[in-house]
Amino acid sequence: MRGCPGAPRRRALRPRDTGGGCGEGARACDPPTPGQDPRHAGGTRRLVLEQLYNAIFIGSIYALFAVGFALVFSVLDILNLAHPTVFMLGAFAALFAIGTLGLPWYVAVPFAVVASGLFGIALDRIAFAPLRRRGAPPLSAMISSLAVTLIVVRLVELRYGGDFITFPSGTVPSFLIRIGDATLEGVRLAIILLAVGLMAGLTFLVRQTQLGRDIRALAENPRAARILGVDVERAIAATFFISSALGGLAGVLLGFAYNSVDSKMGLPLELRAFTVMVVGGMGSLPGAVVGAYVLGLGEVASLVYLPAELRDAFAFGLLFLVLIVRPTGLFGQRATDRA
Amino acid sequence: MIEATLDFLSAYSTLIALVGVNALLALSVWVTLYAGQLTLGNAAFMAVGAYVAALLERHLGTPFPLALACGAAVAALVAVPLGLTVFRLRGVYLAIATLAFGEVLRVILLATPITGGGQGLNGIPPTTELWHIYLSLAVVAYVLWRVQGATVGRAWAAVREDEIAAASQGIAVRRYKLAAFVAGALVAGWAGGLSAHITFSIEPNDFAFGKAVQILVFAVVGGIPNPLGPIFGAALFTALPELLRPLRDYRDIFQGLVLLAVIIYLPRGLVTVSQLRRTRRLQQIGAADVA
Amino acid sequence: MKLRLFTTLGMTAAVVLAACGGTGGTTATSPTASASLAALPDVKVGLATSKTGAANFYNPQQTNGAQLAVDQFNATGGFQGGRQKIQLIVEDDGSTKDQGITVFKKFVEQDKVAAILGPTLSAVAAGAHPVAQASGTPVIAISNTGLGIVGKCDYGPCDWIFRASLGEQSAVPETVKAATTKLGIKKVVIIYGDGKFELDDLGIFRDAFKANGVTVAKEIPYRATDVDFAPFVTAAKAESPDAIVADSLAGPAGKILDEVAKQMPGKRVIGGNGLNSSALLSNANAALMVVGTAWSKASTDKTNTDFIAAYKQKFGNDPDQFAAQSYTAMLVLIDAMKRTSRMSDKAQVKQQLEAVKELATPLGAFSFTSDHDVKQPTFVMTVKDGAFTPFQ
Repeated sequence: MRGCPGAPRRRALRPRDTGGGCGEGARACDPPTPGQDPRHAGGTRRLVLEQLYNAIFIGSIYALFAVGFALVFSVLDILNLAHPTVFMLGAFAALFAIGTLGLPWYVAVPFAVVASGLFGIALDRIAFAPLRRRGAPPLSAMISSLAVTLIVVRLVELRYGGDFITFPSGTVPSFLIRIGDATLEGVRLAIILLAVGLMAGLTFLVRQTQLGRDIRALAENPRAARILGVDVERAIAATFFISSALGGLAGVLLGFAYNSVDSKMGLPLELRAFTVMVVGGMGSLPGAVVGAYVLGLGEVASLVYLPAELRDAFAFGLLFLVLIVRPTGLFGQRATDRA
Repeated sequence: MIEATLDFLSAYSTLIALVGVNALLALSVWVTLYAGQLTLGNAAFMAVGAYVAALLERHLGTPFPLALACGAAVAALVAVPLGLTVFRLRGVYLAIATLAFGEVLRVILLATPITGGGQGLNGIPPTTELWHIYLSLAVVAYVLWRVQGATVGRAWAAVREDEIAAASQGIAVRRYKLAAFVAGALVAGWAGGLSAHITFSIEPNDFAFGKAVQILVFAVVGGIPNPLGPIFGAALFTALPELLRPLRDYRDIFQGLVLLAVIIYLPRGLVTVSQLRRTRRLQQIGAADVA
Repeated sequence: MKLRLFTTLGMTAAVVLAACGGTGGTTATSPTASASLAALPDVKVGLATSKTGAANFYNPQQTNGAQLAVDQFNATGGFQGGRQKIQLIVEDDGSTKDQGITVFKKFVEQDKVAAILGPTLSAVAAGAHPVAQASGTPVIAISNTGLGIVGKCDYGPCDWIFRASLGEQSAVPETVKAATTKLGIKKVVIIYGDGKFELDDLGIFRDAFKANGVTVAKEIPYRATDVDFAPFVTAAKAESPDAIVADSLAGPAGKILDEVAKQMPGKRVIGGNGLNSSALLSNANAALMVVGTAWSKASTDKTNTDFIAAYKQKFGNDPDQFAAQSYTAMLVLIDAMKRTSRMSDKAQVKQQLEAVKELATPLGAFSFTSDHDVKQPTFVMTVKDGAFTPFQ
């Protein structure tokens, strides 16, 4: 592994073969026709591998986002429409830490993660706890989270404007990894590894720790959990902290990968999270992870193998199919009667 | 004085029209909510109504009322197979399935030449008059009000409260759920046709996820207990962006605050305002909740 | 919307209100035709712009540009020897058609404006422009670049609509021509979004490449909800094109630039008006882009340098193309109004807008075509050292 932080990625990242066999100065060499190019077959395999890598990357982002979304749903039956806002806030917290406070990225990331987690707790206190006290239907929680989104997105826009912003130059980690002939962008690989590691950690936390047992008890039956001595409010706060910290981290990482953050960056992930949850099984954390990678792979595969018009239909066609054939999703156990 | 009032009314005629259309949309989702089904597909049915009405008029010269009726009918027809397919899903699953239907429809609209693809249909004549909208609203609201006390309404309420108990009492649960779903699509399709003839143009993105959620917000914030709720909800949250205009850059923030305040203090909607002082006891009213 | 019913309704309401002794608003716009030297009521001009919602990134520049022109004009005396000034009424359309229509109706019916600038988005204009057309209110579009805005419109005659923003129909062919000849491009791949703006551009790009003998090897659509652009660029790479076309708004364009730099080093990215964003200037790979713009900051024309200096002094940052366009539209409107006998006479304003000829503006010497479209050169630009510079 060779690191060169801050180096302009474009210069550093120059593969020896650009795929078509035609380097710079397009005028000088005609693009080879597929049949004549001896490297064509290898080039195709290489492109497939690259697309696979792309799919795993985007699957990891979906997974980090959707796991937090699914966690809140499994514990509280709430569709938290403010989750995309948390994603965006994570990225902006990192921007604030780096741009305004002048912190290096390896401090800014934990800062943003903790800030997102704390925002999650605040979100619960403001938008969800009052509804719980009043015994309001879960649908009201969906709407109060929407209201918080309206407010927070606008506040961010008033401070940072509506356009996208880049991190100050040289502040975002950037390094390359060469494996044989292939060059991998370090940030993307790190994001994949981090996502997988965190999800393993989350599984451990939920399955093996006392806090995890409390959260699962709460998910099964809040009243029983209370009777059994579980500190329900503390477990809920922990749930929101974890959910939002993961969502915020996903935002930071996507912001780093593209060196771009904006107030609407979370919105595209909302529908994705629904899809992921249904495919994986509502409220199932391993299901959400698998669903996220299935969606990432499916999207990229349909880009490569399907005509352009059908690509869009793929994700929702898949969703529809899963709902009809197996409404519990890949990993769901609770059946259709669970509302 | 008279002039100023007239100016005000002409200036806000579109807003007044949109309040009515949104009230119809809110009622369309109220029907399904009343029967215990959480759907997010009504923006898609609205799109079907809007596109069918506009295309019939443009290509076949169909008269306006007939075009509207055809749009609503096609929306209802589309709802039948969809309703049969998704009927066993409940709560959030149903919501997401209907949402997925909306997205698939959007993709179809984007890819079909006759609908204008992503550019949409432009230059639709603004044929809708205010009385069309408010007459429709009055009829729909009256019918739904009467339905509450009728056999259908009582069956819907029973299905919402407890499907198994309802079935054991001989209520054809599946048929009543489908009826609610199709009735909602019919109203949404009609409203879609009306709205297409107000805004001069339609495009697939007008009927996306945001619209589906907006319609649900109107109904839930207004309240499910009776059909007046959705009408109040639609009126308040359609007019709010205009009412808050003096706040300029802070408009969205206050809109969010109003929404938050209403849903927290009146979690069962504006129509439960008389119960405001008793909110802490509301959990005992409980069981009648959707999702 | 036809007004018959609520005219009746309104009459009733008004009578009731009057009977109740209401002391509401007086009509501010009835012109005092007397020859007294007292100040005349302001001439009102409406600006509909997206301050919130999906397209809010064109502000504050779009508002600032128009406001600067108005302030400068009022400071130098206004109309009628200083007796009449312009009042700019700015309203947010929330990037939605519904609000856009309501804002236009408010301008026409309640504020009684003499002319309207805006709205920001073409999709909003599709609903709002017919309102102005029906009421006979002149409109100058300041950022709509798509098809059917002026000239031939879907909703029938649109002779009250003017456009000060360079249409993609003019800009894209120029860009494609410059890029093709200077880079020797034979084959391209177009990556395009699914919005109205991108789809209008897609057709224009297709035609322009055809006219220049360039093959479009593949057209790859993305959705507004796509977050990662690596797969699209990898798919484009499979066709081994000489350049990539980013038919998108600035956000996706930035991601496409990054991916092209990484995956296809040495290749350029050709774009439409969506790439004309100052936010893209800070992108590390902005130097790859080739884009046709309506305004060159580097132009040394005095009107332009004065505009840049005044903007910077007033708002503390550099103007962008959208500021230059809204500033220009306001200059053009003022120029036309000066030649009318009554500034708030909409028919005269329209007539005099048609007569605007070679007016000095930051965009260059400004005239309208017979279709009411802007007649101006296209500046084909790229980015160098964080600024748009001419592409050579």
